[in-house]
Amino acid sequence: MIRGTLYDGSSAFPHDVCVDVDGSGLRLTQESGWSDSVDASQLKRIESGAGAIRLGQLNVPGWRLVLPADAASKLEGLLGRKERYGRWIDRIGLLPALVVGGVLTASIVGVGYVAPHWIAPHIPMSWERNVGGAIVGDFGDLRCRDPNGQRALEALVDRVAPGATRGPDAIRVAALDVPVFNAAALPGGYIVVFKPAITETDTDALAGILAHEVAHVRRRHVTEALVREFGIGALIRLFAGNIGANAEQIVSLSYTRDNEAQADSDAIQMLKRANISPKPTAELFDHLAKEQGEGSSFGAEFLQSHPLSSGRAKKFAASFDPRAHYSPALGRDQSDALFNICWKRPVKQS
Amino acid sequence: MDAPTAAAAEHRRAIQFTGNWREYLPIAATNALLIVCTLGIYRFWASARQRRYLWSRTHFIDDCLEWTGTGKEMFLGFLIVLAVLVPFFLFFQFLFPALVARGKLDAASGILFLFYIAIFYLVGVARFRALRYRLSRSWWHGIRGGSNDPGWNYGGEYLGRLVLAVMTIWIVYPWAATRLWNSRWRAMSFGQLEFRANLTAEGLKGRWAMIYLVPLGMLAVVGMIFAIGATFAVTYGGDKSPGFAAFVIALFLLIYLAIPLMTLNWYAAFYRKAAGALTLGDLEFGFDATTWEWLKLVLGTLGLIVVTLGFGLTYVGYRNWAFMVRHLQIYGTIDVAALAQSTTRAPVEAEGWADAFDVGAI
Repeated sequence: MIRGTLYDGSSAFPHDVCVDVDGSGLRLTQESGWSDSVDASQLKRIESGAGAIRLGQLNVPGWRLVLPADAASKLEGLLGRKERYGRWIDRIGLLPALVVGGVLTASIVGVGYVAPHWIAPHIPMSWERNVGGAIVGDFGDLRCRDPNGQRALEALVDRVAPGATRGPDAIRVAALDVPVFNAAALPGGYIVVFKPAITETDTDALAGILAHEVAHVRRRHVTEALVREFGIGALIRLFAGNIGANAEQIVSLSYTRDNEAQADSDAIQMLKRANISPKPTAELFDHLAKEQGEGSSFGAEFLQSHPLSSGRAKKFAASFDPRAHYSPALGRDQSDALFNICWKRPVKQS
Repeated sequence: MDAPTAAAAEHRRAIQFTGNWREYLPIAATNALLIVCTLGIYRFWASARQRRYLWSRTHFIDDCLEWTGTGKEMFLGFLIVLAVLVPFFLFFQFLFPALVARGKLDAASGILFLFYIAIFYLVGVARFRALRYRLSRSWWHGIRGGSNDPGWNYGGEYLGRLVLAVMTIWIVYPWAATRLWNSRWRAMSFGQLEFRANLTAEGLKGRWAMIYLVPLGMLAVVGMIFAIGATFAVTYGGDKSPGFAAFVIALFLLIYLAIPLMTLNWYAAFYRKAAGALTLGDLEFGFDATTWEWLKLVLGTLGLIVVTLGFGLTYVGYRNWAFMVRHLQIYGTIDVAALAQSTTRAPVEAEGWADAFDVGAI
C-alpha cells in the first residue's frame, strides 16, 4: 500500500489516499470509505521533479495522483514508456531520428539551393514575363520617356548584345528617374538603369554595366533567384526562425556572388566582341571602390552580394588589349540623347 | 483548508525554482540536435519539452507546477496562423512593388500604412492570446488558468494606445504600457478566480523621462567639450590630438549605450510595479529584480552564448524562467478547497500568433 495525494480536477483540495496496485490498474481508498479504481490504460505519467511520481488520467482533466518516488518499483510494468522527445521521435528512437532527419534536411537544403540553378533555364520565358509584368508594370512616372534617349539606350544594349532588344524574348530596358547609382535585371527580361548611372558615367562604362545585366538575363540568374527565394528560402524562413534566415542569407549570397562573377566575365566577352574598351568600366569600379572606402579584407567580400568593386576593376582592366583599336560605344548624337533621357520637356499650355 | 504562502515567518519562499543546469543539459542538447536535423520543425516540441521541465521544477507552496501544452498543438497552431498570414503577406509583397513600379507612390504608401496598422493590431492580439494560452496550459493542484476573452478587442486597444504613443514620440508610453498591462491581466483567470490589476504610471514617469534626458545631457557635455577643445585649438593653434578624438568617440558610444540602459532601467521598475499591482483572490504578487540584476541576466546570457559558440542559445529560456521565478514573490493565503476548476475554453491555435510575430506573453 502506498500513501499519496489525489487532486480530483474539480477543486485544488489535496485528498490523502491509499493506493494499491492490482493486476490491471490502481485501486484508491480513503479512511472515510470512499474508493475508486483506475485502469492502467487510462494512466499517464507526468513530468515531475526527483522527489515524486505524478500520474494523470487520460479522460479526466486535472485528475492528478502524486506518489512518493520510492513507489516506482511497484508501478513498474503498469505504466507505459515515458514520453521523452515527442511521440513521433520516440517511435523511431533518438539516434535513428537524428540520422534520418539529418540526411533528409541536408538533401532538402542541398536540392533547394542547387536545383534552381538547373531549373531556371527550363522555365519558359513567357511565364517569367507574366510574373515580371505583374510586378514591374510600366514604372509610371518614374520612367524616363524621352524617345530619342530611349532609342539610344536600346542601341547601347544592341551594341553589346546584338539583337537583344528584338524578337519574342527581347530584353526591355528602361531608365528610371531614381537618385541612386545602380542598375538591375528584373524578372521577365527587364533591365532598369537609374539616372545617376547614365548621367555620371562615360557611355563606354555604361555599356559595361548593361552587358553585365544582359548576362544576368540571358543566364536566367533572376529566375534562379526567384525560384530559390520562393522554394527553400521561404521554407527555411518559416520554420527555422531568425537564425535559420541568417544562415539562409549567407548561403544564398554565395550563389549570388558566383552569378555576379559569371555575369562579369560574360560582360568582358561582350565588350570584346563589340570592340568596346573595358577600361572605362574598370575605372568606374575603381572609383566606386574608393568611394565605398573598402579595405582589402576577405570578410567584406564574404558578406557582400556583389564582388568587391576593386576586384572587379582588376578583372575588367586585365582584359584591356593595348593593341586593339577600340571604338566608342555610341556616337556623339546618341550619347547626348542618352544623357538627356530623363530630361522632361516643359508641358505646353494649350 | 488554507495553504499559507510566503511560508509565514519561515525563510522558504512560496514559489521556488528547483531545477539545475546539469539536469537540464540532456534536454538542451537533444533539443538543439533535433531542431537542426528537422529544418527547425522540431522547435515546437523542443519548447514543449523545455516548459514541461521548467514548470515541473517550479514549486509553489506544496506542489509543483505542470505544463500540459504539446509540441503537436503548437505546430498545428502555427500552421493555422500561417494559413491566415501567408496570403496576407504575399498579397502585400506583390501589391507594394507593383504599385511602386507603376509610379503610384501615394497608393503604395497608403497600402504600406494599412499594412502596418494591421500588423500592430495583430501583434496586440498575439500578445494577449499567448498569455491566455500559457495560462490555459499551466496547472497547479489539478487546476488551470485561462480566459474567455478572445483578445480581438485587446488588439484594438493595443493599436490605439501605441499609435498615440508613436504620435507623441513615445512620451506617453508609460501610460499606454500600464493600461495595457491592466487590460490584459484583468481578462485572465486561474481556476474560478479572476486576476485583478491596478497598475498606474505613478512612479514610472521619472525613469521614462531619463531615457530622453540622460542622452541629451551627455550630448550637452560633448558639445561643451567640443567648444572648449576648439578654444584650445585656436589659442594654441595646434592640431586636435588623437586622444581628444578618441575621447569624443567614446562619449558618443556611451550615449548609444545609455539609451538601452535607461530603457532597461525603466523596464526593471515597470515589472516590479506591475507585479505589485496584480492580485488573484487573496494572493498578492511581487517582483524584486533590480536594473543591475536584469543587466547581469542579459550580459550573462550574451557571454554564455559567445563562450559556448552559440550552444548557450538553448539555455536562454531556462535562464529567463529561473530569473523570473527567483525574483517573483507571492504573499497571502489561498483557499484550496474553494479554488475550483476553470471553465474557460482553451485556445486551439496555441502560440501561433505570438510565434509569427515573435512576441512574448508577459
